[in-house]
Amino acid sequence: METILDVQNIHTFIGQYHILQGVNVRVPQGSITALLGRNGAGKTTTLKSIIGLTPPREGKVIYEGKEVQGARSFDIAAKGIGFVPEHRAIFRDLTVEENLKIAERVKGDYLRKRDFIFDLFPDLKRLMTLSGTALSGGQQQMLAIARALVPENHLLLIDEPSEGLAPVIIEHMMKAIQLLAKDSTIVLVEQNFLVASQLAEYYVIIEEGRSVQAGNMKDLVNDKAAIHRYLGAA
Amino acid sequence: MNTFLRKNTVLLITLAAILALFIAAAQGMEKKDFVITLLRGLSVGSLTFLVASGFSLIFGLLDVLNLAHGTLFMIGAYIGWTVFVRPDTFVDLLTPLALILSGFALGDVYPLLATRIRFGLSLKRILPWALVFTSILLFGWILPRYPIAIWNVGNYGQSPVTYSFMADSGTRLPVLPAAFTEISAPLALIGLLLASILGAFGLALFNNTAQPLKLNWKKFISFAILLLVALLTFIFNDSLTAALTGLSSNWLFVIAVLVATLSGAGLGALIESTLIRPLYIRPIYQLMLTLGMSAIGIEIVRAIWGRPEFVMPKPAFFNGSGGVCPATNFADWWANNCSTILLLDGRVRVYNEIFIPIVGVIVLISIWMLLQRTRLGMVIRAGVQDREMVEALGINVRRVFTMVFALGVGLAALGGILAAPSMGLSNAMGESLFLNALIALAIGGLTNYPGAALGSVLVGLIQQFIIKYGQIGIAIPFTDIIFKPTPPLVPASTVLLMVIILLILPNGLLGKKE
Ligand SMILES: Nc1ncnc2c1ncn2[C@@H]1O[C@H](COP(=O)(O)OP(=O)(O)OP(=O)(O)O)[C@@H](O)[C@H]1O
Ligand SMILES: [Mg+2]
Repeated sequence: METILDVQNIHTFIGQYHILQGVNVRVPQGSITALLGRNGAGKTTTLKSIIGLTPPREGKVIYEGKEVQGARSFDIAAKGIGFVPEHRAIFRDLTVEENLKIAERVKGDYLRKRDFIFDLFPDLKRLMTLSGTALSGGQQQMLAIARALVPENHLLLIDEPSEGLAPVIIEHMMKAIQLLAKDSTIVLVEQNFLVASQLAEYYVIIEEGRSVQAGNMKDLVNDKAAIHRYLGAA
Repeated sequence: MNTFLRKNTVLLITLAAILALFIAAAQGMEKKDFVITLLRGLSVGSLTFLVASGFSLIFGLLDVLNLAHGTLFMIGAYIGWTVFVRPDTFVDLLTPLALILSGFALGDVYPLLATRIRFGLSLKRILPWALVFTSILLFGWILPRYPIAIWNVGNYGQSPVTYSFMADSGTRLPVLPAAFTEISAPLALIGLLLASILGAFGLALFNNTAQPLKLNWKKFISFAILLLVALLTFIFNDSLTAALTGLSSNWLFVIAVLVATLSGAGLGALIESTLIRPLYIRPIYQLMLTLGMSAIGIEIVRAIWGRPEFVMPKPAFFNGSGGVCPATNFADWWANNCSTILLLDGRVRVYNEIFIPIVGVIVLISIWMLLQRTRLGMVIRAGVQDREMVEALGINVRRVFTMVFALGVGLAALGGILAAPSMGLSNAMGESLFLNALIALAIGGLTNYPGAALGSVLVGLIQQFIIKYGQIGIAIPFTDIIFKPTPPLVPASTVLLMVIILLILPNGLLGKKE
């Protein structure tokens, strides 16, 4: 299978802190790959390093066959990467509709994708004129994902979509992500192992800034020792 | 509605108190005095707003406290004056300016170029310095020898004061076109171009920016346009000068306003992209930098235009006299372009007290529309909150930063040239207005756009009312005492208003609660 994203041994510094100390992530086209690991392991930083918000100081990020590390974030994103950050980062001073429109990369993106987005998240439809602040946590998460769907993206980086959401909404979110995976590749950071194991085909475990184990999710589910050791779950 | 009332009780009470104060102030004076004072307040408020809104936009998005904002206001005034009173000087400056800018237009190309060339580590360290140094040397050698027809600060007969006076009375001093004597024309032109490219390259290396993924061809187009402008203005220098001096003062004024505003914007873009940008991670240095720029700006203005204050004539459209003037109705005014008009028996100066507030309102609405209705505005509003997320959407936030800085400085420069015919030009005109603007923002809310407008108007009004009461005095109730506020009370009163409002509403009238 073809590799859409290949992260090779990246080292990332935040200030003087050496946060990532060798992370490798290989993402096959058309799959969902989960980044797993404890709190503070470096999962978010890995996503941010891919999109260039915390550019890696060493190593390579190869996206669709081209090295993109060191380029500016907007340049990397414009190549077709959608970023759904940890705390949703909905723009408060913008309406829900504007939160979607701002993500247009080509004029008309929003109109082209509107129906698709409403099919996926029917709730958003009646919220369009509200300000970003008026949304509940679940609605904000939907909006954050929807925002990444407005432009033509081939790769979605989604950081903890289930964080702080009620079980019903998590299920809804999972269905949406599964649907999205049909057309695009997804890198998913997920603390909830149950959610991650149901969604993802592949996984990479990050531990103290290093990728320590990777493979098929099916194998990990049976590898109780690894789960216990790296994720602390049963 | 009820929740709105409850949430904003303090704000509403404060506003009501201000309104009551205002009505009380109105009761104490004659109608004609009131009209004039009100309009003057709005005029000062408008100018304050032009400075405050730009400052607040820049601070909101970029987190840069641009302490040079008042100086840039002043520079706008002086640039506008130059175009208006000495079009020949302005035309002479176009060629060298276009050349100086051309190198910087190439922007992104330099980091790409730098990655193509392989050089050793020590060379890499020396090269930026060497480039910038060479560039400065070249500029320093060519610019003083470049012929520009200009006034002479040291000689009263040829000073800006005299030229202003002559322009006002409709006669222009004969000006000899400057000629290339100390340096040959091709050498000067090519030298400036080279100096600009070297300088821009060097600065780009300092900034050590990430390389763009692809070359932006638009950069070459703007480079080519600048070269073309330089060449055309060089060739057609004399005919352009003749055309400008032949224009009516109204059109010349329009051009002066445009040139001042655009120069302000261009200067802003240049300052942001070369000086401010490397310091985003060091806010304190940034503060010191803008403070230094302010001082340097004032010195430059003193060197070029001199220390003495001078006036800028008003365009003919606002300068009519005699006959039916002061006009008593609009038709009379329109027919005679009277400089004053009678409103409720008050003699109102049309340019100062009507035109400036109108421009203020137009700018207020245009910027509001820009923020609320355009994509750029959307990006600015989003960027104020979360720059990283905007960038991660594929938007070049840095370019938006440059645009906002340019916009902010452009607004200040617009304020400057508008103020020039009413306030006159002086080295200190920026400082007093900048202080006004800071107080206005503290009152209205530091990064709140409507707040900037409200604060500016309040500051303008309170100053003008205190000044007026300084003339007519306040009758203290139940006594025979008439209290006359003295001039020092004017700045004090605005500061007092600010202190009171900040005590009640720490984020200003319309500022967001943190
Ligand atoms: N701005 C920062 N300054 C200093 N250290 C930071 C900064 N941001 C992150 N870190 C550190 O980097 C490490 C990795 O952080 P990161 O957010 O990538 O972890 P994570 O795996 O996403 O954790 P979580 O599951 O809690 O989101 C943490 O130890 C964190 O403390
Ligand atoms: Mg995280």
